[in-house]
Amino acid sequence: MKRRISFSSSLPIPRALLSHYRRHPLQLLALATMIVLATMLWTGVNQLTSQARASLEQSEQAVAERQQVVRDDGHALMVEDFVSLRLAGVCVMPWLEVTPDSGSRIIGVDPLAAHCFGTGASEALDQPLDGKPFVDMSSAADTPARESRFYLLTPDSTQASDLPNGYHLRTFATGPETGELGDSFLLNLEALGVLVLLITALLLRSVYLLGLAQRRDGFALLHRFGVLPGQVQRWLVVEIIALTLICVVPGVWLGRWLAAGLGGGFGQALDGLFDIPLYAGHGQGWITPVLVMLAVVVIACLGDLLLLRFRERLSLSVPKRLGLATALFMAGLVMAWLAPSLLWVFVAVALVFAGAGWLTPVTVTRFANWRADQSKAPLARWRYRELAVLARRLTLPLVALQFALAMVLAIQALVTTFENTFDRWLGQRLEAAYYIEVPAGADSRKAADWLTGHKASNPGMQWHQVIRGSTRMADKAAASSQQVDIYALAPISSLITGWGLLEAEDHPWEALAGNKGVMINEQLARRQKLGVGDTLQLVLDEQTRDMRILGVYPDYGRPVGEVLLNAEALPDNFNARSESFSITPGELGIGPVTDGLKRIWSVETLSMRDNSTIRELATGVFDQTFALTRAMTLLTLILAASALLMMGWVFFTTRAWYFRLLVVWGMSQQEVAGQLLRLALALTGGIALLALPLGIWLTWVLVHRINPLAFGWSLPMAVYPAFWLELGALSLAIGLSIAALMRRQLGKPSVAPVSASALTGGER
Amino acid sequence: MTESLLAVRGLSKHFVSGNETVPVIEKLSFTMGEGQSLALTGRSGSGKSTLLNLLCGLESPDAGTIVMQGQVFEAGGAAARKKAAAWASLRRQQIGVVFQEANLMPALTLLENVRFRAQLAGRDPANSEDWLTRLDIGDLARRYPDQVSGGQRQRAALAMVFAMEPALMLADEPTGSLDRQTAAEVAQVLFDLQARHGCSLILATHDVELAAGCQQLLDLGHLSAV
Amino acid sequence: MNRYPGFLLGLLLLAGCSGDASEEGFAGLAGLEQSAAGETPYLQPGPGDRLGFPADFGPHPQHRIEWWYLTANLETTDGEPLGVQWTQFRQALQPRVASEPGPDSTDWPLQAAWMAHGAVSWKGKHYFTEKLARGDMGNAGATAVPFQVWLDNWWLQGSANNDRWQLQAAGEGWSYDLTLAIQGEPVGHGNKGFSAKSVGGEGSMYFSLVDIAITGEVVLEGKALEVSGKGWFDREWSSQLLKTGQKGWDWFALHLDSGDKLMAFQLRDDSGSFLSGTWLPAEGDPIPLSSEEIGVKALELRKGVPVRWQLSVPAYQVDLELSAPLGDYLNAGLYPYWESPVEVSGSHSGVGYMELTGYAD
Repeated sequence: MKRRISFSSSLPIPRALLSHYRRHPLQLLALATMIVLATMLWTGVNQLTSQARASLEQSEQAVAERQQVVRDDGHALMVEDFVSLRLAGVCVMPWLEVTPDSGSRIIGVDPLAAHCFGTGASEALDQPLDGKPFVDMSSAADTPARESRFYLLTPDSTQASDLPNGYHLRTFATGPETGELGDSFLLNLEALGVLVLLITALLLRSVYLLGLAQRRDGFALLHRFGVLPGQVQRWLVVEIIALTLICVVPGVWLGRWLAAGLGGGFGQALDGLFDIPLYAGHGQGWITPVLVMLAVVVIACLGDLLLLRFRERLSLSVPKRLGLATALFMAGLVMAWLAPSLLWVFVAVALVFAGAGWLTPVTVTRFANWRADQSKAPLARWRYRELAVLARRLTLPLVALQFALAMVLAIQALVTTFENTFDRWLGQRLEAAYYIEVPAGADSRKAADWLTGHKASNPGMQWHQVIRGSTRMADKAAASSQQVDIYALAPISSLITGWGLLEAEDHPWEALAGNKGVMINEQLARRQKLGVGDTLQLVLDEQTRDMRILGVYPDYGRPVGEVLLNAEALPDNFNARSESFSITPGELGIGPVTDGLKRIWSVETLSMRDNSTIRELATGVFDQTFALTRAMTLLTLILAASALLMMGWVFFTTRAWYFRLLVVWGMSQQEVAGQLLRLALALTGGIALLALPLGIWLTWVLVHRINPLAFGWSLPMAVYPAFWLELGALSLAIGLSIAALMRRQLGKPSVAPVSASALTGGER
Repeated sequence: MTESLLAVRGLSKHFVSGNETVPVIEKLSFTMGEGQSLALTGRSGSGKSTLLNLLCGLESPDAGTIVMQGQVFEAGGAAARKKAAAWASLRRQQIGVVFQEANLMPALTLLENVRFRAQLAGRDPANSEDWLTRLDIGDLARRYPDQVSGGQRQRAALAMVFAMEPALMLADEPTGSLDRQTAAEVAQVLFDLQARHGCSLILATHDVELAAGCQQLLDLGHLSAV
Repeated sequence: MNRYPGFLLGLLLLAGCSGDASEEGFAGLAGLEQSAAGETPYLQPGPGDRLGFPADFGPHPQHRIEWWYLTANLETTDGEPLGVQWTQFRQALQPRVASEPGPDSTDWPLQAAWMAHGAVSWKGKHYFTEKLARGDMGNAGATAVPFQVWLDNWWLQGSANNDRWQLQAAGEGWSYDLTLAIQGEPVGHGNKGFSAKSVGGEGSMYFSLVDIAITGEVVLEGKALEVSGKGWFDREWSSQLLKTGQKGWDWFALHLDSGDKLMAFQLRDDSGSFLSGTWLPAEGDPIPLSSEEIGVKALELRKGVPVRWQLSVPAYQVDLELSAPLGDYLNAGLYPYWESPVEVSGSHSGVGYMELTGYAD
C-alpha cells in the first residue's frame, strides 16, 4: 500500500521532467542523436577491429607454416604415396592446389582424411568446401588446371620416426607469415577502439551536461515544490537508461551496417589472398555493444551524479586541481618512458590523457587571459577574454576534439609506419623474384656453379644461396648458452645489400662478403645488448668462434635472435634446416633456370615460390586494412567535430545578445562577424596546436614503447608534418563553420536576455 | 531654442504579424535640441523600444525622415549599406545606448568595459576609471559584471556611455530591473550627468516619476507631443 | 560437438545427396529418395532377398549403408572382464553396380566414405577411436575373397579358408591384436537374412557369426593384457533403416551360460516401438522372434542413457536383467552412441553387448 502511494505520488515528477523536452524537442533530439552516433561509431570501429582480427588470423592460419611429408627421392607425390602412408598409420591429408585456366586458385582437401588431425589442430582446414578456396579433392582433381601442386600435410605431432622409409618431413607454407607484425597492428587497433570509447564518452557527457544545465531551472522549481533531489535524480537515471536503450539499438545496427559497408572492400582484398572470406566470423553479437554503450552512457552522463558524495569530498580548489592535473600528466610522461610492462604503459597513457584533458582548457584559458592582459587594442582584449570563456564553457567537446585529433594523428603516423614496415618486411622476405628449395640430397654446390656460369651471360640475373639452421651462442659471462637462428648467404648478392641497417660500420656488405664478420637482427641486439664492433661468440662445429658484428638489421616481427653471415663461415658439417636459392632471373626468365636446376638435381619438380604474386597479394590486403583504419579514425574526427560544432553553436546562440552589443556600439555586422570568425578560428586552431604534441607523444608510445614491450622489436618512428597541416586545416574548417552559423544568428532581431544566469550567455 | 540635434518627420514603422500589418509608429514628427531630454512613455508594445531602435539605426523605418546631427536618413531608397555605415559611425561616436540590463560584456571587468567603449568611440580611455569613481563604483572597477549588483551594473553602463562623450543618449528603461531606491539613485545620477555634460537624452520608460525628470514628454500611447 | 560433421555434411551435399541433412547419419540414418532417371538406383533389400557366401562378406556398393561389426566379451588372465568393439561402416554417396569396376583413385572419387570405430572397455574405462577415409582410394575398403576389411592401419583379415580372422586396431592409449576362431555357420536373421525394421516391411539384410572364440593381446596405456573370450560378428546392409519418426534403436546380443544365444532389437518410434530378434538355442535352428514375442523395458537411466534393462521372451522362458558395468560407454564420435558390455542375470546368466542410439545429444 505504502509503495503504491509513493509510486503514484511520484508520477508527476517524470511528467514534469519530460515536459522540458516537450518544449525543447531539439535538445532531446541532440542527446539522442549523439547517443546513436556515438554507439554507431564505437560499434563500427569495434566491429571492424574484430573483423580485421578475425580475417588476419584466418589469413595467417591459411598461410601458417605446417608440416608436410615429402619423398626422399625428390619425386612428386602421387595418390599411391597418400595410400601407403595412410596404410602405414601416418596421418596425412591431401592438399591439391589448382590454378584453373580461368578463375582464382582453388585448394582441394579431403575432410575425411583431415579427421585424424583432430579437433582444433586444424582450424584453418575447417572451412566450408565452397570453392573459397577449399573444395573437395574430387572437384579439384576434376578441374582443368593451368598448374597444380599436390602436397601431403601432416599434423605437427607427426615425428620423423613415424614415417616409413623413403619419406621425410618438411615445413609447408603457402605464403609469408605476418607473425607478430599482424598481432602488433591488431593490438594498436584495439587501443584505438578504447580511445574511441573515451572520446565517445566525453562527447556524450558534454551534450548531456548541456541539457542538464538547461533544465536546472525546472529542477529548482520542483525542489521548491517539495520534491527531494534524490527523487529527481532517480528519475533522471531512469530517463537516461530508457533513452540509451532506445538509441543504442539503432546505433549498434548502424555501426554494423557501417562496418559492413566499409568492410566490403577489405573483404574483397582478403578474398584475393587465398580467397579467405572476411565474414567467416560474424563479428560480435548485440549484447556486448549494447551493454558497453549503456555502461558508457550511464557513467559518462550520471557518473558524478551517482558519486555525488564522493565528488564533494574530492572537490578541489582550482589551483589544487591544476596541480593534480600537472602531477598526473608528468607522472604519466615519466611512467610511459620507464614503464617495465605493457600494463604500466597503458596506465601511463591514461594518466597523460587525464592530465591533458584537465590541463588543456585551463591552459587555453590562461593563455587567452594573459594575451588579453597584454593586448592594447580593445577588440583584441575582448576577443581573448571571450576565448577564455569559450575554452571553459566548451571544455568537454574541446577535449574530445583534441583527443580525436591526437588519435587521428597518431594512427596516421602508425599506419604509415606500418605500411612502410610491411613494405620493408616483404622486401626482406621476398628479396628475389623466386625462391627455390634445394631438394633433399641434391647438391647445392653444383647448382651454385651453374648459376654463377649463367650470371656471367645474364647481367640482369641476381641470386644467392640461403642456408638456414640454428646454433648456440656462447655467453662470455655465464656458462649458459643461447639458441640463435643462422641465416647464411653465399654469395652476398645485390638482392640483400639494399637492406636498410639500424646501425653499421663502413661498407658492411663488403665486409660481410669478405667474411670479416656477421650481422645480427634487432632482437638479438636488444636482448644481448650487442652493437656494431662488439664480438659475438658462436658455437660452430663444436668450437666457439669470435665474430665481429658489422651491422644490425631490422627484422620486423621475428621473436628469435638471428645471425646473418657469409655461408663460407659455416663448417662443412653444419646441420642446415633448409637450403634454398633466391633468384631474380632477369631477362633469361625463370623457365631456363628451373629447367637447368631440375637437370642438375635430376628431379621432376621443384619446390618453388613465386614471390611477386605473394607480394602483390599481401600488399593488397594490407593496403585495404590501412585504408579502413584511416576511415575509422576520420569518422571519429568528424563526430568530434560535429559535436564541437553543435556545442559551439548552442553556446554562441546564448551569447548572441552580447555580440549584438558590438553592433549597438557602432560596429558593422561584417566587423562583428570578422571578430567571431577570428574567435572561432583561434579556438579550433588552438586545440589543433595542443593536439599536436599529444598526438606525437601517442605515436611515440605506440611505436617505441608498446611495440617493444609487447613484441620485443621497435617500429621506425616517423612524423608527417604534411598531415599535421591537413588536420590544422580541418580544425580551421570547423572554426569557419561555427563562425558561419553565428553570422546567421547575428542577423536575427535581438531580444534581451531574461536574466544573466549561466545559461543565457552572461558567464565570463 | 538651442540648435536642432534631431528632427523626426512623418516616421512610420509597421510589423507584419501573420497576414496583418500592425502599425507600431505612425507619422511621428518631433524635433529635439542639443542638451535636451525627452521622455518616451506609453504602455508596453506602444513602440518605445522600436522608436529608440529607429533613432540609432538598429531598425529601418517604413516611411519618414530622420535628421541626426545634420545627416539626413530617409526611409526606403537605395544605399542601405551606406546608411547602415553612417548609423554605425554615429552609434560608435555620438549615440550611447543603455538597455534595461546586460549592457556590459560579461568577460570584461567594469573598467575594461568602460575603456573598451571609450576606445571604440575614439575617446581617450584614460578617464575611464574616473567615470566609475564619479558613479560611485570606482572600488569595483576590477570586478566582473556578474560580481556586482544590478544597480552597480547600470551605473557602470552609464559610465560607459558618458566615457564615450555622446551627443545623444538613448536609454531604454534603464532602471526597469532595479528596486525603487536603486532606481531613484541611478535616475538621479543619470539626470545629473546629462545636465552637466550637455548631452541630449531620450528616455523610454513607463515610470511616471522618471519621465517627469525630462524636459519633454512624448506619450506614444496617445501620440501627442507635449 | 565435433567440428567435422559440417565437413561431412558438406561432402554429402557435394555428392548430390538432397534432403534434410540433419536427419541423415552415418549409421544407417540416411533418408531414402528416388534417384534421377538414368542413374544407378540404390537397391532396397526385400523379403525375397537371400544371403550368398562368401560374396556377402564383401561390400555392397549399390546399397547406401553397411557395416561389419564385432563385439567381444573377453577376460584377462586374472578373470577381469574386458569388452572390445570394432566396427567398420561404409556409407555410399553414389550407388554403383557391384559388378562394375571402381573409379580411378587418381580422380579422388567420392562414391563412398568409410568410418571405423574401435573401442576397449575395461574396469569402468572406455577407450574409443574413430577413423574416416574416402572410399576407392586404397587405404580403406573391404573384399570378400580373401576376406578383409581395412581402414588405414586397422585390419580385419581372414585366412584362406576364412575360419581364422586376425583383427588389429590401435588408437590413443589403446591397441589390440586379436585372433578370432570362427565356428558355426552364418545365422540369417528375420526372413532368411531379411530383417524387417518396421511394420511397413522396410528392412536390411542381416546375418551374424555368433560363435567366435577369441584370443590375443590388448595394450592399454602401454600395459599389455592377455585376453580370451567370445565374440559376436554382425554383417548388415541396407539403403534405409530408420523411418521418419524412428528415433533410434536398442540392440542386444547375448551369450547365455546355458549355451543359448539371443539377439533382440527395438526401433523406438513416436507411436511405439518395433521389436525383432532371433532366439538361438544351444541345440537346433535359430528361431526368428516377432514383435509380440519380445518384451523390453528400460529400468535405470545413467545421464539419460538406460543402462539397466529387462528383456523377456516368454515363449522360451527367458526373463533377463541386463546391466552395463559402471562407467561411461559413449562412443563420442561424429554420431555418438552407447556401446557397452552387459552382464546378464535373471532366468539365465551370461554376458553380451548392447548398443543404444538416439539418446546422446
